[in-house]
Amino acid sequence: MTNKKKISLVLGVMCFALTTAIVIQVRTVKNTNSTVSQNYEENNLRAEVLQYKEKYDNKYKELEEAEEELEKERKSSVENNEQLEKVENQIQQGNKIIGLTEVKGPGVIVTLKDAQVTTGTTYIGDPNDLVVHDVDVLSVVNALFNSGAEAVSVNEQRVVPTTSIICGGNIVDINGERIGAPFVIKAIGLPEYLSNIAMEGGYLDRLKGYGIVAKLEQSNSITIPKYSGVISYQYAKSVE
Amino acid sequence: MKKGKIIMTITIGIACFVLVAIMFMQFKIVNETDITSIEVMQEAELRTELSNWKEKYEEANQKYEETKSTIEEYKKTKESNEETSKLLEQELEQVNMALGKTDVEGQGIVITIKEGDTDEFNKISSDDLLIIANALKLAGAEAVSINDERIIRYDMASINNNTFIKVNGQRILPPYVIKAIGNPTYLESELVGSGGYVDVLRKLGHDITIEPSDKVLINKIKEDITTKYIE
Repeated sequence: MTNKKKISLVLGVMCFALTTAIVIQVRTVKNTNSTVSQNYEENNLRAEVLQYKEKYDNKYKELEEAEEELEKERKSSVENNEQLEKVENQIQQGNKIIGLTEVKGPGVIVTLKDAQVTTGTTYIGDPNDLVVHDVDVLSVVNALFNSGAEAVSVNEQRVVPTTSIICGGNIVDINGERIGAPFVIKAIGLPEYLSNIAMEGGYLDRLKGYGIVAKLEQSNSITIPKYSGVISYQYAKSVE
Repeated sequence: MKKGKIIMTITIGIACFVLVAIMFMQFKIVNETDITSIEVMQEAELRTELSNWKEKYEEANQKYEETKSTIEEYKKTKESNEETSKLLEQELEQVNMALGKTDVEGQGIVITIKEGDTDEFNKISSDDLLIIANALKLAGAEAVSINDERIIRYDMASINNNTFIKVNGQRILPPYVIKAIGNPTYLESELVGSGGYVDVLRKLGHDITIEPSDKVLINKIKEDITTKYIE
């Protein structure tokens, strides 16, 4: 009989704990949602942003189609003329380097992740050191170009001549797109050279010193996407 | 008696299972809340985001019109090799401009950094130049050069404990002259004022001047970018 009582008691406590946990969870989720949807002004803005984003996406799709068409038209225009084919080839080669076409090749993949602080231990020092920053990503990109990278992307965003990498809070902004950790940086080039950035005392080592997870992998076939934006010039003019 | 016990155990078992399942579902929802998503942005962020997308849309639209008209021109000039060639050259020039193979001119700013008498540790390093170049590009710089080395890709390095700096694999010496083409006001305001990097360097004792100009000339890249591995 006492045995039965004990079991009932244990079960009762368990059920109570579980129910409490669920209630807390539900409340947290509800709270985050309500603060988000309360502000009327913000909701309007949000709708407008989404509308423009969609407009851009549609236009960009049209642009991509037009670019394919242009490429075909260009190719057919230079057919049977060696001189012209040469120029056409230069255009294509140039677009690859700029980042306007997808490229493949051997290279490395670098992954950066925020430091994992195990609960219970306290970190003495600036907690900022534990997070991957824009400058860290920028420095890795720079180091990869130093080591002969021919094409680089960060979380599938191609690094092009106009690319900037900047952070706002927990988020990094590249090419105007917002990305969060983990950061996956791909580079095409000679894998042995590119791996230099993981050398002892190198930049990745320094990041690891803070507990940031930095990993480098070599690969024989890396695909780097084309730039998902438009490069245009409003101020700069070519001069001879 | 025995039957009752079994039923009770099963009931409790099921109840526990359901509770645990609900908890896991909840945890998952919390985990999946994406901090990069638009749902969690606030007003100021949303405004920037909106102007970003507007600008991107305008650019895409303009580029689309241009591409369409180029297609039309190719169709028209198909019969004449000479005219096709002209068109190709035009396109190639655009590509070469983006690759930094042509000199470019336009309004912008010129930044001159004279190193102060700071200790070894606070000397201008390649990281400082990297951060400035990045900030300029964020502010919409269309072309950037450091001591006449055109910045097409971020390729800077401090050599031998920062005894000297290399840009594009070429050694450069102080004073550092950074040129950028773009809207002068935007470019300057990204570097000075709250948290601007030029302010940071000034505090370390470096002498930095920023001059806006209607005519900044930036030279072409000295060595063409060659490729061996990309397909």
